[in-house]
Amino acid sequence: MTFFKELVDKIKGAIGLGAPTSTLTIREKFERFKNVLKCNQTALEIIADMGEKLSGDYIFDRHYIEATVDELSETVLRCVHALNALCDNKYTHLYDVYERIHDRLMKILSGREDREGPPILLLNEITKSYFGIVGGKALHLAKIINDLSLPVPEGFVITTRSYHDVIGFSELAPKVDRLEGLIASPVASAEEIEKLRKEIRESIYKIEPPPHLLEEIEEAMSKLEIAKKDKKPFFAVRSSAQEEDMDFSFAGQFDSVLNVKPEPEAIFEAYKKVIASLFAKNVIEYRRTVLEGEGQMSIAALCQVMVDAKASGVLYSTDPLNPATDDIVIVANWGQGESVVDGKMPTDSFRVSKVDGMKIVEKKVAKKKEGLFLSPKGGLEKREIPKELQDKPCLSDEQIISLARIGKKLESYFKHPQDVEWAVDQDDNILILQSRALLVKEDVQVERDLSHLEEKYEIIATGGLTAQQGIGYGPVKIVKSIDDLDDVPEGCVLVSPRDMSLFVTVMKKVSAIVTEVGTPVSHMSTICRELCVPCLVNVPGILSKVKDGMEITVDAEDQKIYKGKVKELLIYRNSQCLNVFESSDFRLLRRVLGEVSRLNLVDPLIEDFRMDKCETYHDILRFIHEKAVNELIELGRDEQKLLKGHITKRLELPIPAGILCIDLGGGISKDAPEDYCEFKHITSIPFKALLHGMMTPGVWHTDVMEVSFRDMVTSIINAPTDALDGQYSGHNIAIITREYVNLSLRFGYHFNIVDAYCSDFPRDNHIYFRFLGGATDITKRSRRAKLIAEILRAYDLNVKTKGDVVTARMGNMPRQDMEYHLEILGRLIGFTRQLDVHMESDEVVELYRDAFLRGDYEITRR
Amino acid sequence: MVDNGESLAKLIIIDDEPIVGKRLKQVFTKLGYQVETFTNPLVALEYMKSNPFDIVVTDFKMEEMDGMEVLKRARQFNPDARVIIITGYAKPETAKEAFKSGVFDFMVKPFRLEELKEAVQRAAQGKD
Repeated sequence: MTFFKELVDKIKGAIGLGAPTSTLTIREKFERFKNVLKCNQTALEIIADMGEKLSGDYIFDRHYIEATVDELSETVLRCVHALNALCDNKYTHLYDVYERIHDRLMKILSGREDREGPPILLLNEITKSYFGIVGGKALHLAKIINDLSLPVPEGFVITTRSYHDVIGFSELAPKVDRLEGLIASPVASAEEIEKLRKEIRESIYKIEPPPHLLEEIEEAMSKLEIAKKDKKPFFAVRSSAQEEDMDFSFAGQFDSVLNVKPEPEAIFEAYKKVIASLFAKNVIEYRRTVLEGEGQMSIAALCQVMVDAKASGVLYSTDPLNPATDDIVIVANWGQGESVVDGKMPTDSFRVSKVDGMKIVEKKVAKKKEGLFLSPKGGLEKREIPKELQDKPCLSDEQIISLARIGKKLESYFKHPQDVEWAVDQDDNILILQSRALLVKEDVQVERDLSHLEEKYEIIATGGLTAQQGIGYGPVKIVKSIDDLDDVPEGCVLVSPRDMSLFVTVMKKVSAIVTEVGTPVSHMSTICRELCVPCLVNVPGILSKVKDGMEITVDAEDQKIYKGKVKELLIYRNSQCLNVFESSDFRLLRRVLGEVSRLNLVDPLIEDFRMDKCETYHDILRFIHEKAVNELIELGRDEQKLLKGHITKRLELPIPAGILCIDLGGGISKDAPEDYCEFKHITSIPFKALLHGMMTPGVWHTDVMEVSFRDMVTSIINAPTDALDGQYSGHNIAIITREYVNLSLRFGYHFNIVDAYCSDFPRDNHIYFRFLGGATDITKRSRRAKLIAEILRAYDLNVKTKGDVVTARMGNMPRQDMEYHLEILGRLIGFTRQLDVHMESDEVVELYRDAFLRGDYEITRR
Repeated sequence: MVDNGESLAKLIIIDDEPIVGKRLKQVFTKLGYQVETFTNPLVALEYMKSNPFDIVVTDFKMEEMDGMEVLKRARQFNPDARVIIITGYAKPETAKEAFKSGVFDFMVKPFRLEELKEAVQRAAQGKD
C-alpha cells in the first residue's frame, strides 16, 4: 500500500515536468494516444482474465489474487498517467479517484471487509455490494426477493460489521483473535481451544449492546411495511453465516430464537444467543476439520417477522433419499414448521412429479393431534389440533402444486436441489422462510467415478471452453435471435450460435448454456458465473448436432455433451456437498472483481460521464478511453496541422461522405498520395467493411429531402448540445489502424459513431454503434430511432434506445462475422441518413425496416 | 501401475491449501482415478511408505518441505512414480531444476484444470 502511495506521489510530482502537449508534434501526440490505448487494453485484459478464473475451471490461490491486484493497480495508474500526458494534465483528479478505489481493494485483501458497511440492512436493501456482510441465509432470501419476486416475510439483517462492533465493544476481540489463531493452527491443543471457546461463549451472553445498536434495531423495525400499518409483529432471529454456503452440511449448526418480542432489548438478547453459537463446540470442531484453511469467520443475524402460520413445513425440490427420481417432496403440519423440522410429531407428506407439468403422485395424511403455535408471551407453545382438522391434509391440492412450482423455480435458479422452509399464513398466502442447498443423505449410494459413462450414453459433442462449471440437463432450446428468447421454457438447455449478454433475461430458468462461438471472458460468461449457470462456449458444430426439444445433459466440468438424461451425472451433481465457489479464495476474488470490473460509466452521451462518478477501475479505464479518443478527434479538426503532418488524408469516395482519415498505423496503404486516398488504399479491416456497406448501390441517397419549416426550426433548437460543442462540429473523421476504426459522422443534424476493433482473435473484437439527433421533431426522430433499433436487433446487435438515441453493441465474434456486421452498419448509416423526414407514421417504420431487411434500399426514393 | 481393479491409477495430491486437495479429489475421482489428498507432505510421505501409488501432484512451496524434496523422497518408495509440481511462485530456474531432477510436469498457478487433467492422463499412460 505504501508502495502505491509513493508511486502515486512520484507520478503526481512528475506531471508537468514533461513537455506541455501544445509543443508536441502531431506524431508525438499520436504516440501518447497509442500509449493510452495500450495501457488500457492491458488493464482490460487483466480484468477479463481475473473474471475467467471464477469459472471453476482453474486452480488459483491467494497469492495469484494479491499479485494480480498489484499488477492491475499499477497498469491502471499508468493509464491515468498516460491520459494526463496526452491531455495537458487535465485529469489529475483521476489520481484521487484511483487512490480511493485502490484503498478499498487493499481493505478487501486484508480480509477485514466484513467489518465495513451498515450495521443493519433491511432484506430488500441487500444489493451486491453488501453480499459479503449479510451471510448466506439472508443473501439467498434477498436474491429470492429481488430476482424471483417470491413472497418472503420482511425483515432486517444485523450484519457482520455489527458482530465485530459487539465483540470489539465488549473487549472480547483479543480472545476471539487468539481462538481464530488456534483454529487455524493444525498443531494447537484441543484443550486450550475448548477452554477459550467456552470462556468466550459465556462472556457473550453477558455483553452490553454497543452504542447506537439498539436505536438502529428500533429504526429498522419501524421501517418495515408492517410497522407502517401500526402492527407490532414478533420476530424470528436466525443465524446467517457465509460459510453455510460452502459446505452444505454446515447449515443448521447455529441457534435460532423464535417469536421474539418486538423490542430492541429482546432482539439483542436473542441476537447474543445466535452469535454465541459461533463458539459452540460442534461449530468449532466443524471448522477445524471440514472448513480447515478457510480463515476467520464472522456471523450475521437475520431478524424476520414471525408468520402466524396455519400450516408450515419443509420442501425438498429433489428427493434426498432417492435423488434419481423426478419427485418433489413436501412435509407439513398445522402451525409452525419447527414441529416438522424436529421430527417429533406426525406429519403429512406429499410427493409431486416434476415430469409432464406438476402432478401429485402421493399423499400420506397422518393423524396430527398437536402442533406448535405462537405463544402470546413469546416463543412457541404446543397446542392440540381441533378434532375436525386432525385427519385433514394441512395443504389443499392447489397449495401443494403452488409450493411444488416454487420449489422447481428455486432449484432452477440456484442450480442445485433446494431444502426450503415455508409457511402458509392466516390469509392462505405461501411464504418462503428460507432456501438452502439440499444435502443428500450420506447413506445414499453415489457413484463418484463416472469414467464409464461413455460406454452407456451417446456423446454428441466434446470440447469447447468452460465459462462456468456445472452439470445441466434439459430439452434443447435453440436461440438464434432475440425473439427466440421470448419462449424459453424453464429448465431447458439454451444452445446458440454465439454468446449474447441478453441471455441474462432467461438465465435464472435455463439449466445450462452452450454456444458454438464465444469466449469465457465475454460479458455473458461473466453473468453465467454470477448466476452459476453451467456454460460451455466454443463447442464446435453443436448446432448441427442438436434440435429443439432434444434432451441433452451438459457436463461443463469435463466438456462433454451427452444425448438424453445421464442420471449418474445428475445424482453426482445433486449430492455434491462442497461448493468451491463459496470457498474463501473464490469469495475474495469475487469481491475484488466487484470493485474492479463493474461498469457504471456506460455511455458518454446518456449517463453521468464524469471523473467523480468513477467507482471501479473499469470506470476509470472507460473514462480514459473516451477522453483520449476525444483528444484525438479534437486534433483531427486542426486540418492544416494534420495535413502538414501527412498523417491525415482526405478520403475520396464515389459518394459525398466527406471523411478525413487519421491513420495511426496500417490503416492506409503506403502507395496512397500525400494528401488524399481512395477506397482502394484503405487497408483498415473494419473501416473497409464499413465503407463497403456505405457504398452499396442504392444505399447512399444524394437527393435533397424536403424538410418542412417546422422541422427546420426544431432541428436548430434540438440539436444535441453535447454533440455540437466542438468535437463533432468539424469534419467527419475516421481514426484508423489496420484493426481499428473510430468513425464520427455528422450528416445534417444527426450523428453516427462507430467504434470497432476487428482482428483474427474473436475475443478482442467489438463493435459499438451510436446514433442520435435529426432534423425533425421528436416524434419523427423517435420513429427513426425505433427503425434503426429494430434493424440492428434483427442482426443480433445488443441495442438500447433512449428517446432518439440508439446505442448498439456486439463482440466476441470471428473476423468474417465482424466484417459482415460492419458492412450492414455501413448500409444502415447510408440508408437512414435523411430518413426522419419520412417517418410520418408508425406503419412506415415497419415498411422501411422490412425493405432494408429485403435489401430494397431504393424505397426511400419511391 | 497399481492394480486396483477398475481404477485408472492411484494419485497422491499434496497441497497446503485444503481446498485445492478437495477440488482435485472431486475432479480426478470422477475421471476414474483413485485419489488420496494431504495438506502436509510429511504425512503424505508416511502414507506413501506403506501404500502403493503411481502419480504424485504436489504443491511446490510448503512449510514442511518443498515439492523437490517430495519428488526425491517419493522416488525412494516408487522409482517409477511420476511427479507433477504445481506452484504459485514460479521462477524459470525452479522449473529448469525441477525438470533436471526428473519431474514429469511443472505447472504454474493459475492453470486450467484441463491442463492438469491432460498431464495426469499422460503420466498415467506413461507418455513423456
